[in-house]
Amino acid sequence: MTETVQESPPRRRLTSLEVLCALLVLAIVGQSWLSDLLDVKAVQTGATVFVAVCVQALPFLVVGVLISGAIAAFVSADRLRKLLPKRAALAVPVAGVAGVALPNCECAAVPVARRLIQQEVPPSVAVTFLLAAPAVNPIVLVATAVAFPGEPRMVLARFLGSLATAVAMGWLWARFGKMEWFAERALRRLPEHHETRDRWGVFFETARQDLVDAGGFLVVGGLTAAVLNVVVPRTWTDALGEQVLLGVFVMAVLAVVLALCSEADAFVVASLSTMPLLPKLVFLVVGPAIDIKLFALQAGTLGRRFATRFAPMTFAVATLCAVVVGILVLPS
Amino acid sequence: MRRETQNILLVLLGGALLKISFTGTYLRYVKASHQWLLIAGGTIMILLAAVSIVRELRGNRDLDDEHDHGHSHSARSAWLLILPVLAVFLVGPPPLGSDSVERAAGNRPEVPSTEGEGSALFPALPAGDPIALPLSDFSSRAAWDRGHSLDDRTARLTGFVVQEGDDTYVARLAISCCAADAFPVKVKLLGRELSHLADDSWVEVDAQLRPGSATRDNSYVPSATVHTVRGIPEPEDPYEH
Repeated sequence: MTETVQESPPRRRLTSLEVLCALLVLAIVGQSWLSDLLDVKAVQTGATVFVAVCVQALPFLVVGVLISGAIAAFVSADRLRKLLPKRAALAVPVAGVAGVALPNCECAAVPVARRLIQQEVPPSVAVTFLLAAPAVNPIVLVATAVAFPGEPRMVLARFLGSLATAVAMGWLWARFGKMEWFAERALRRLPEHHETRDRWGVFFETARQDLVDAGGFLVVGGLTAAVLNVVVPRTWTDALGEQVLLGVFVMAVLAVVLALCSEADAFVVASLSTMPLLPKLVFLVVGPAIDIKLFALQAGTLGRRFATRFAPMTFAVATLCAVVVGILVLPS
Repeated sequence: MRRETQNILLVLLGGALLKISFTGTYLRYVKASHQWLLIAGGTIMILLAAVSIVRELRGNRDLDDEHDHGHSHSARSAWLLILPVLAVFLVGPPPLGSDSVERAAGNRPEVPSTEGEGSALFPALPAGDPIALPLSDFSSRAAWDRGHSLDDRTARLTGFVVQEGDDTYVARLAISCCAADAFPVKVKLLGRELSHLADDSWVEVDAQLRPGSATRDNSYVPSATVHTVRGIPEPEDPYEH
C-alpha cells in the first residue's frame, strides 16, 4: 500500500476509493499467501466462526436499519413529543415502552436521543429511550429467541431486565440529572427541515449510513467472538460456569469490553454453552445499555461530563436489574 | 470514508451473502433455514447501495451534511466491512472440524427435561439394520436412555474422523443457529485398528454401542464396537441440528 501512496501526485490526497482498490488488488494478488496463513487449524476455526457470526447477523442488521430509516423519514420527533405525557415520571415508562415500537441499533439511538433533547423532550425521557430502544425492540427479542431455542424465558427476562434498566435510569435522571452535564452543542436546537426534503431520500440514506456504521461494529463483534472461541479454553468457561457470582461480574465486564451489536450479542453469548443462564442474561442486559463503543458515542454526541456520569451508573443499574430479573424469571 | 467507497463495500458484502447462499457454502456457517434471510439481506444491501449511487449520479448530495452530525465518528469502522468480503471471496473458511472437537472437553448431550439424570425413556427406534442415527441422538440415548433402545442394535453413524492420542473417534458438530454456537458430539470407535484414517476425513460407520460406556467421568462420550467403516464425500450440510 505504501507504494501506491508514493506513486500518487504529491499534493493530491489519497481517496478512500483508491485505498479500497489497492487493498482489493493486494488481497487478490496475495490470495495464496492469505490461504497459507489461514492453513493453521486454530486460525481456520477462528475464520469460520468469524464468517458465521457476520453471515448470520447481517440480515438482522439489514432489517434493523430499514426500520431505523423509516422512523427517521416518516415519524418526526415533534410528533413523538406530542404523544408523550407531560409529567416526566409518567413519560419515562412510556418512553421505555416506545423503545419496543421504535427499534434502533444502539449506534443510531444516541443521535435520536440527542434529537429528542433538542426538541425539548425532557432528558430523563430521552435517556430512557436511549437505553430501551436498542434493547427491547422486536428484532433483538426475535434474535434472542432464535439464539436460545430451548429457553423462551430468556427472551422474557431480557425484555424485563432491559426495560427495568431503562426506566430506572430515567427516574434517576429525573431526580438527580442536571442539564449542564450536556455539552452545549447537544442542546442547540436544529431547525426542523425534514418537511422540505423528500422522505424516501432520507429513508434510503439513513438506512444505508446506519448499515455501513453498524456493519463495521458488527465485524468487530465477529472478530472478538472468533478470537474468544479459539483462545478461551473450554475448561476456563466450564470453571466459570460453576461460580455464578464471578460469572455475573465477568460477563458484565465482557459486555462492556466486547461492545457487540444488540442484534448479534445473543448468538455470541449462546455459544458459551456451559455457562449458566444468569451470567448470560447479565451480558445481554448490560451490553445494549453500555459498552465501550456506546461510551465513545455518548461522549462525542452528548458531552463528556454526561458520559462519565451516565456510563458507570448505567453499568451498575443494568447489572443489578439483570440479576434481580434473572433470579425471578429464569429457571434455576 | 467517501460515500462511493461505502457503496462499493456494501455491494461487495451483499454479493458475498448472495454468493454463499446460491453456492450452498452458507451451510458451513449457518443452518439451512437462514438461506432466504441471507438472500433477502444481500439483495437489500445491494439495493441500498444502488439507490445511493443513482442519487449521487443525479447530483442529489444535500443529505450529507445533516446526517454526518452523529456519525462522522464511526466512518473509520466501515473499513472493517472489507474483512468478511475478503474472507468469503478469497478464503472461504471450511466447516468446523476436528480442531473444534479437540478444543472441547467432551460431549454435552442434552439432558432430557422430563426427569432427572439417567432416567429418561426415549421413543422407540424404527426397525432396520443398520439404522441411520445422528451422532447427537446416538450419544444422548447412550447416556440417558433407561429403555436401552440402542442395545443390540447396529447404528449407521456419519461424521468425520478425529484422532486423539491412541483413540479414534467419529465426530460431528451440532449447531443451533450458526457455527459460533457449535458443540461437538463424538463416539469412540473400538474393536478395529483405525489409526490410518486421517483427521477430518468423512466416514460412515456401522457400529454397536457398548452399553454403559457413556458416563460422567468420560464426559458422556460413548464407545461403540465397529463393524464396518466406509469413506464418504463431505455431506452438503456438515452439521447436525
